Amino acid sequence: MTAPAASEVAIGDPVTPFSRTVTQEQINAYAAASGDHNPIHLDPEFARSVGLPGTIAHGLLEMGILADAIASWAGGNANLLSLTCRFSKPLLPGDTIICTGTVVSVDDAGIATLEVGASSDRGDRVLTSGRATVRLSR
Amino acid sequence: MPDQSHVGRRYSAPGQRIDSDRAHATAQAIAGADPVREPDAVPPTFAAVYCLGPTLAKLFSDPEVGVDLAGLIHGEQSFEWHAPVHPGDVVDATAEITSIDTKRGMTLVRLAMEATRPADHAVVCRGTSLMIVRAPA
Repeated sequence: MTAPAASEVAIGDPVTPFSRTVTQEQINAYAAASGDHNPIHLDPEFARSVGLPGTIAHGLLEMGILADAIASWAGGNANLLSLTCRFSKPLLPGDTIICTGTVVSVDDAGIATLEVGASSDRGDRVLTSGRATVRLSR
Repeated sequence: MPDQSHVGRRYSAPGQRIDSDRAHATAQAIAGADPVREPDAVPPTFAAVYCLGPTLAKLFSDPEVGVDLAGLIHGEQSFEWHAPVHPGDVVDATAEITSIDTKRGMTLVRLAMEATRPADHAVVCRGTSLMIVRAPA
């Protein structure tokens, strides 16, 4: 995998859009792997008791998918230097998360800053105020 | 309930070993039905497991701060990756409460965290988190 060349990336360029449907099995697998067993992710009855529509995905699972989307465009995990986001709306099992991004600057060292975010196929903006930096190839 | 007097508290979780199976299981959970793009790599947001998780666990069990887990929301997260980590690496994780504010009945707890690798004295990851604690109903 190779990063896009700094000389070929322009301000306003889109990060290749990336979508993935998140299932309850996937949320269960993330809970087991990460050790975050909060019942709002696993137990629909509990989730409803705290005012949620049902179980919700871990914010960090969503952020992991966003990181995957950016790293995929940027030529690999090692080229992703930073990522920030706000967990604005929950993602529910069965939802498809759609990750997007735009190049906002490229510096002399070949580091691109991206505005990034994610929405659900139901139209909720799930990850907002997102920023990432990636290392482009020279 | 967290308050201003808790700003500056530090939580250390030394000796976090990057477990290959757990890193791969996390990558697979993120990938879902898709193949894992880099099967031998530690996924970037695995920092949630080797840095955020173990230090937050110490904060949540600090009886003097008394975070009510039932009302807890993860509001924001940032990570900066300074050096790649590999399965088998051991890192020391720390987190510090940098600010506590109240807004509309919610308590906003901001933390700064860092993971360093003693073997080569490298900072591997830095991050910040916003945890929102809702007032008990």
